Amino acid sequence: MEHLTAETLAGLVDEVAQPEEAAHLAECQVCRAKLDDYREQTEALGNLPEIVPPRGDWGVLEARLRSEGLVKTPGAFERLGLAQTPAWMKVAAAVMLYLGGTGTGVVLAHNDKPQALGEMAMMSDPTMFANSATVDDAASAVRIAEQYYVSALARYRELMLTESGGQPGVDQMSKYAALEHLAAASQAALRQAPGDPYFNGLLASVLGEREATARMVSRKDNWF
Amino acid sequence: MENISAGMSERRLIMLAADGEARAIRTLYDRYAPRVYAVVRRIAGDDDLAQDYAQEAWIRAIRALPTFRGDARFSTWLHRIAVNSALQALRKAETRRKREAPIPDQVPVAPRGGDALLQKQLERALDVLPEGMRRVLILHDVEGYTHEEIGDTLGVTSGTSKSQLFKARAKMRDLLSSLSSASQEHGAEAWSI
Repeated sequence: MEHLTAETLAGLVDEVAQPEEAAHLAECQVCRAKLDDYREQTEALGNLPEIVPPRGDWGVLEARLRSEGLVKTPGAFERLGLAQTPAWMKVAAAVMLYLGGTGTGVVLAHNDKPQALGEMAMMSDPTMFANSATVDDAASAVRIAEQYYVSALARYRELMLTESGGQPGVDQMSKYAALEHLAAASQAALRQAPGDPYFNGLLASVLGEREATARMVSRKDNWF
Repeated sequence: MENISAGMSERRLIMLAADGEARAIRTLYDRYAPRVYAVVRRIAGDDDLAQDYAQEAWIRAIRALPTFRGDARFSTWLHRIAVNSALQALRKAETRRKREAPIPDQVPVAPRGGDALLQKQLERALDVLPEGMRRVLILHDVEGYTHEEIGDTLGVTSGTSKSQLFKARAKMRDLLSSLSSASQEHGAEAWSI
């Protein structure tokens, strides 16, 4: 008696047997046993468990998502836990933080002076920004540099206005709202072209101007 | 920014993730990473490759999130992306180096007892199956694809898919027999990886 081939038996796991195959199986214990093996094997394959990814996978993925602009960089308010706050309160909070003396750069990422002072030391050695050994270090360096840039920009604007003694010629609240839109648009553009230096620079400038505008609002109206 | 909670609907989570909300993406990742990793790992047949393929699958999925309309379940949609991404990466790798994995006579597997041992044997046997067979076997027997779906995914006819599947099952059985013999002949000493 000629046994059924391995491939035929493998197919009979989920295919209907032809009459001659069924007849053979009815008589042949060897082929029946093999067919049972195939059924068990197929069932076991279907019950294979999920596999937990190695630890640290999320960190690598997150870094890549950020580098590709697929993750929104949280703004100052989100970092400070003020995401649910109405817009006008956000402005007030920003202004109060400025008046509290913490400074734009520190407000954007950190709220503790010792760390800010440590970063100031980092600023005194600019090569530290360029010598990051890991993606995390490089991302951190970019954030710090961005904070200082924004802080310097805000201070520059403030001094310019002080020296000229001029008052801003536009409604600051409207300007602030416009800058909010511009910041969102810049962030959206960065998601499309995350490595583009123009968009990066634009976003940093917009954020700086937005914070400076918040300060102007506070000086002019003291509305909070 | 909206608070992300465990009870938040998946639809809302997806919307937030599509908008680049990191915690929403993380929540989806935590929920589906094992499923994505499992299918990608089995297709890749290698841990290092699997990590790369899984990363790529997630990047593609997050990139494509704004196009997800909810016609299919999110898990199904994501699974498709993972499979296609892994298969495409594998094809690229194949083009670079035309090779087929050698099939060892005996593959040592760590003993875990009962089902765990069988699972380990199945995983090891899957790893050494020729790639063409492995893809079809994983898609059909592990992931539950139909032959028509496999045909669409791999660009072959459903008949070819069936034929490959039956060959793959037969090959798997041979490999599992070898693994089983190895365990009996060499005992626990031979099972260290």
